[in-house]
Amino acid sequence: MSYGLVIGEVRKNIFEERNIDAIGLVHLLQKESVLLIPNGHYEIQEGIINLLITVDVEETQFLNPLAMVHVLEKMITAHGKPDMIVFTHSSSGIELASYAAGYFDFPLITDVSGYDTEKKIFYKSYYSDKIFGQFYVTQDETPIITVRSGSFREHVQAKGFSPAHETIDGIPAITNRTFMEYVEEEKGDVDITKAEFLLSIGRGVGNKDEIQHYEELASLLKATLSASRPVIDKQWLPKARQVGTSGKTVKPKVYLAMGISGAFQHIAGMKDADCIIAVNKDPEAPIFQYAHYGIIGDMHKVRDKLKDILKT
Amino acid sequence: MNILVFTKRVPATQEEELRITSEGKRVDLSKIPFKVNDWDNYSVEEAVRIIEKSGGAVTAVSIGDTESDEVLRRAIAMGAKDGFLLERGEILHDPSTRATLMYNFIKKENIPFDAIFTGVQSEDDQFAATGGILAAKLRLPFVSMVIGIDAVEKDHMVVRRELEGGLQERITVTLPCVISIQTGINEPRYVSIMGVRKASKVERKVFNAAQYEENVSSKIEVIQWVYPQKKAGATLLPADIEMACKELLGILKEKGVY
Repeated sequence: MSYGLVIGEVRKNIFEERNIDAIGLVHLLQKESVLLIPNGHYEIQEGIINLLITVDVEETQFLNPLAMVHVLEKMITAHGKPDMIVFTHSSSGIELASYAAGYFDFPLITDVSGYDTEKKIFYKSYYSDKIFGQFYVTQDETPIITVRSGSFREHVQAKGFSPAHETIDGIPAITNRTFMEYVEEEKGDVDITKAEFLLSIGRGVGNKDEIQHYEELASLLKATLSASRPVIDKQWLPKARQVGTSGKTVKPKVYLAMGISGAFQHIAGMKDADCIIAVNKDPEAPIFQYAHYGIIGDMHKVRDKLKDILKT
Repeated sequence: MNILVFTKRVPATQEEELRITSEGKRVDLSKIPFKVNDWDNYSVEEAVRIIEKSGGAVTAVSIGDTESDEVLRRAIAMGAKDGFLLERGEILHDPSTRATLMYNFIKKENIPFDAIFTGVQSEDDQFAATGGILAAKLRLPFVSMVIGIDAVEKDHMVVRRELEGGLQERITVTLPCVISIQTGINEPRYVSIMGVRKASKVERKVFNAAQYEENVSSKIEVIQWVYPQKKAGATLLPADIEMACKELLGILKEKGVY
């Protein structure tokens, strides 16, 4: 069988929306789409796949890379090698994909956001999206791909029929890496997802002493202060104020981003804001591609000028 | 406990303009400053904290040209005992080649370790793959996106992985293992220029990478570098900051948030 294999990511009994992009890449390849999923009670859009295979394990074991290689071995024994194995480019996707690539000695390209069907070329981000590499696979072996969320869903086509069902069982219990529990992050002092106006600061802020001046600006503007990952990593603001895939997804009326270059993990968390205004000294910063309005300039100077105007 | 920590010297491209040259065959990094990969900085710090608490030694390992000695000295200044440089002039773009090179090195030189720490990814190529590929080749357990190490015991560790939207999962992993560290797991210590200079006195071993390149062949290759496709993009406000700020406040009023 000539097919593309998609590993369906399920977390807390939710079939993650980004799986649709993995299915989209297989549709773009015009291959039969086979979807692997764990046990559980959750909804999936069945009309877009040819074969649905339930693996008889819980989601947390399914997403254990040491178990996944057994699942893939059984899959290959039963159906032959896929033409491509597709994961999402997520926390678990990168973990599973890299381990599987090493285990089977398959080629691996991660964070893929485009594919040229004629030239058989994958587009992969480099240098925080400033440059993209056009990659091709040099060996006649099944490539493993992780796809960036939002990149391929437009290629999904309804098949107009229900998928065939199969099961895979007999996956051994893994004892050297075991799931204990899910941990929710602490609730913060403020819920940034409820704010209508977010003033968000990023790496460009430079040092901790500057934070207070942005707190002051936020209060003058009656905005809520949020931040991108570099500010949170340095613990200059609490985690609850982080915008992005590993933080919060926000949809305010206005998102004023200062000193944020716009890594895709950040963009994914704020791109649906009604109005995005970006301030950055680097005219090539990816955020200007997503913003409605932009100021190319030093964020601190813009901050001071805004404060001057607001105080008078 | 002996921990091997991988560290990589990467171009600091955040605020630099990047130029593609040679008809798409090269990215010109000649004028770009280099630094330690952010993820590796957190990873070295985490390893050093563990041995400071429970004993053992950290060895920093890097693949790269002679300039990469700089990140080894930096790791030593942070508390690593020594450093190994696998010297190689040309960049290996395919993470499977880097992982295979490390695998061959560890096996051939019989390098002892209880854990290998890598950063989740490097800032330049963002593959997020070397740790996972290496772990699988070594047939060792692997955990990536580690945002907390809750316990280190003789035969296992308890770690937290970062998932999406503020969710984490707690995992027990047996030793030896490979762990990929996420940024924000700790607050890396400050490293002074004096500290790095002092670290120069500690021996770093240099190995010729060519000795370990059996089965190191790229499975993927770049044929062309391209700039991202431009969208319509932002409407730019005036270059004069005062005018830009006034227009910005006008937009906020129009949107009804100020």
